[in-house]
Amino acid sequence: MTDLATAVHRGPAPAGSQPAAAQGADAARVKIAARDLNFYYNDFHAVKNIRMDIPERKVTAIIGPSGCGKSTLLRVFNRIYAIYPKLRAEGQVLLDGENILDPAYSLNRLRSKVGMVFQKPVPFPMTIHENIAYGIRHHETLSRAQIDERVEQALRAAALWDEVKDKLKRSALGLSGGQQQRLCIARGIALRPQVLLLDEPTSALDPIATGRIEQLIEELKRDYTIVIVTHNMQQAARVSDLTAFMYMGELIEFGDTEKIFTKPDKKQTEDYITGRFG
Amino acid sequence: MVIATDIIDSGQRRSRADARHDAWFRWLLRTCALLVLAALLGAALSTLWGGREVLFGDGLRFLTTTQWNPVENIYGAWAPIYGTLVTSLIAIVIAVPLSFGIALFLTEIAPAWLRTPVATAIELLAAIPSIIYGMWGLFVFVPFMAAHVDPLLDSSLGRLPLIGALFRGPPLGLGLLTAGIVLAVMIVPFISSVMREVFQTVPARLKESAYALGSTTWEVVWDIILPYTRQAVIGGIFLGLGRALGETMAVTFVLGNAYDLTASLLMPGTSISSSIANEFNEAAGLHRSALIALGFLLFVVTFIVLLIARWMLRSLKQKEGTA
Repeated sequence: MTDLATAVHRGPAPAGSQPAAAQGADAARVKIAARDLNFYYNDFHAVKNIRMDIPERKVTAIIGPSGCGKSTLLRVFNRIYAIYPKLRAEGQVLLDGENILDPAYSLNRLRSKVGMVFQKPVPFPMTIHENIAYGIRHHETLSRAQIDERVEQALRAAALWDEVKDKLKRSALGLSGGQQQRLCIARGIALRPQVLLLDEPTSALDPIATGRIEQLIEELKRDYTIVIVTHNMQQAARVSDLTAFMYMGELIEFGDTEKIFTKPDKKQTEDYITGRFG
Repeated sequence: MVIATDIIDSGQRRSRADARHDAWFRWLLRTCALLVLAALLGAALSTLWGGREVLFGDGLRFLTTTQWNPVENIYGAWAPIYGTLVTSLIAIVIAVPLSFGIALFLTEIAPAWLRTPVATAIELLAAIPSIIYGMWGLFVFVPFMAAHVDPLLDSSLGRLPLIGALFRGPPLGLGLLTAGIVLAVMIVPFISSVMREVFQTVPARLKESAYALGSTTWEVVWDIILPYTRQAVIGGIFLGLGRALGETMAVTFVLGNAYDLTASLLMPGTSISSSIANEFNEAAGLHRSALIALGFLLFVVTFIVLLIARWMLRSLKQKEGTA
């Protein structure tokens, strides 16, 4: 817990309003903690010695130039990288204190706790209803009525219900890009995870759809711990409570979003924020 | 002025020539496509014409009876039709799961260094002429079936009620089952190459999304990869089935060529194409007409199989919901 406090309070506290993350820093529990985390693609050292505490029920944004390792870091948090050979992570990632990188930690259990939404919307080639029910059925045995109820809950939570309630039996491939992305979010939260990982969730969407997703993120943080990777700094500033800046595989600075965007401690962070590189 | 009109003229000439070339090209392409149709129609009609005496003279009796007696000029086609359908069915039942496993292993599980050699080996299998398969079938596989597989089936599955009748019989080695297995070996390369190609087209992000929900490899394959590639997979299966239905040489070697209709898969039988291959030399008159009519039936059977494929695709699509 103190790790978080030091992470947030690195450097002098900003004058004036204290952002929510810092105020609640003592109350917010650490949900995910990375310890000496390194990640390799074959011989390429993509993520270097990351130490980071992600608080519960907050939105944490990871920003940085392309290739800085931000998506790679996100993909360690649910071990999705493990489906490819020759990728390996070293160190520890503690989810509620348990090391998820331990091979004994069940992938099934991990992924029911940590949901993920990808850059491009990827509806499964099934009906809208099946897209949501698919994941639920995998983890729980429920009656048809219970599943219908869970599907509705998930779609409502993802602010999609009103648009699709009359066409649940239609193919999900017929939805617009923004709707598809909200369907993917609904699919993720249908499993009732504790953490949602969003990997540039709006980069393939138009501004209106992006606005709806950002609004949704705001609502979802009441129930979920959200980690979002974005290359859009305005988006990070708008939606997140904490921001991490990564460069060349290293975590340069991590703290309250307001502080990172107004008074960063590191020169590199300031240069990136102000658009001087990256 | 003179120069300017020259330029305009040459520009117009150029665009007129372009339009003409485009028209030629379209015409050429249309001809290519129409040629296929003409060849298909011509073959179908000429077999229909050649077999008219039997098809229209005997009508349904030709389709439903099994007696095939060139000496007395009595012809019934049910035994070869049955043999064709059963051997092809056996081939598909064996080859589809096998090809599915091969294709999945190569796209999802095999380490990179193993993928290319195995894929090449499979494509080489497809290049072996069918007469070689026939020879291998007769000299190697038939004795093996007679010595080991037939007695085993007869004493195990053959004792079961109902399906037992399929597996009872003397250990001849030759027969419907043997032909079906040889056919399976022949069509595995076709089906597995098609499946491998289409499995590779599934976007990584689709698979990642499913894995991210906690799916196992099997679930990703069954619920995501297969539905996504369904159309091409079924296409590949029917490509293999089409080949199995029409395969002649390999089947002729190992089928036994008997116009008996027996329940047992261990007994010799005949198929449409092997009947034709065996008897065409010495056929004349009504016998010849009966063989050509068999050829026409093969057209019909293949056409029906394609219709079934279409129908299967449509009903699967309805299950998935329309866009």
